[in-house]
Amino acid sequence: MAEVHIIGQILGGSDFPDNSLYCKWSLSAGSGWRLLQGIKEGQTHVDNPTYEPFAAWSHPIDLHYTTKGLQGWPKFNFEVWHQDGFGRTELYGYGSCHVPATPGFHELECVTWRPIGSIKDQITSYFVGGGLQLKNPELAIANSESYRLKTVSMGKVHLRLNIILRNFDKYGVEF
Amino acid sequence: MTSSTNTFFLLMANGSIESAELPEYNEIFIKYFFVHGQDWDKIAGLEEGSTQIGHKSIDQRQTIAFNFPLDITFKSTCPFGWPQLVVSCYGQDVFGNDVIRGYGVTHLPMSPGRHKLRIPLFVPESTSKMQKFFAWIQGRRPEYIDPRVLAHGEGREVTRVRSQGFLNLNFNIVTKDMRKLGYVTTTGESSSANISNQMTEINNTTLANLTQTLGFNPEQSYVGQTPRF
Repeated sequence: MAEVHIIGQILGGSDFPDNSLYCKWSLSAGSGWRLLQGIKEGQTHVDNPTYEPFAAWSHPIDLHYTTKGLQGWPKFNFEVWHQDGFGRTELYGYGSCHVPATPGFHELECVTWRPIGSIKDQITSYFVGGGLQLKNPELAIANSESYRLKTVSMGKVHLRLNIILRNFDKYGVEF
Repeated sequence: MTSSTNTFFLLMANGSIESAELPEYNEIFIKYFFVHGQDWDKIAGLEEGSTQIGHKSIDQRQTIAFNFPLDITFKSTCPFGWPQLVVSCYGQDVFGNDVIRGYGVTHLPMSPGRHKLRIPLFVPESTSKMQKFFAWIQGRRPEYIDPRVLAHGEGREVTRVRSQGFLNLNFNIVTKDMRKLGYVTTTGESSSANISNQMTEINNTTLANLTQTLGFNPEQSYVGQTPRF
């Protein structure tokens, strides 16, 4: 069995229309993958930066996977949320990115998007606030038939990841 | 030399807390902790400590230089629970109370070599306006009872923080026996990557020949010279 260690941080988010952001994250992997140690989902704190428009989350990630095959390499799913002064939350973006397959240090930027819906929905959310969110985000991110979805681009999620692989070369896997 | 039957690997990290960028504050000192998983053991160095009290530079940069050395060696059997450095920066308010000015957390780098890191610093905020007011009156701002919780991902969703400033760190990392235990931390170490390294070497030599032949040298005449590649 080959092993993969994913160690690093969800560093923060930038380029969103407003600050005071938090992020819900989870990792999904194929059926051949088993999580030995670590937590594969969580939520960061809410950060409201003073100077730079960069919400710092510094959220540690430490996962130990074991796998029987290469298919279904782990993938991060993000949901970035905005919290206003009254504690109301609003969806700011969905994003997803694969864990790099090469060992070593990786600095990743994951771009995000958010559904906008019809003109009527947009006008409503402009005046009333809030916005649309997906009933089943996992399905939308994984689904190959998300082409009817109207979205608008939002900011980026920044990650610093270190990948350690073990016993892959025993099985002739090249990287 | 040690025998090849080692079941653990070593991680030697040295470096320094270089400087802090906290534009609003002066008189900062930093407490640091190394936090690691259960499989890990410290075998040399200090796991926690605190720096001197630093003042801002008088010039435009407004950095607080610490140049505080870190030097620690760990051993472990599994990379899970890789050591993290947790820092908490304290300053003083007008009444002389120690007040938290920033928490920061980072993993130690994993690949051998020299690394420069710039980590954000943040402070927890009061959840309500009322608490904020009382915190201001009493001069007791919210802080973590144990900053080590920052090294764990759980239970963070309940906190609100405000990030202010950065901390600059540098690290030199040396690992021992990781490759022997089968752990690959960089692409340069794997066998397939070795081949590609050789390939680049070959390419480099051809490139060198190429530049020799095509290189601009006024004394050399290019006419009648056969390319060497």
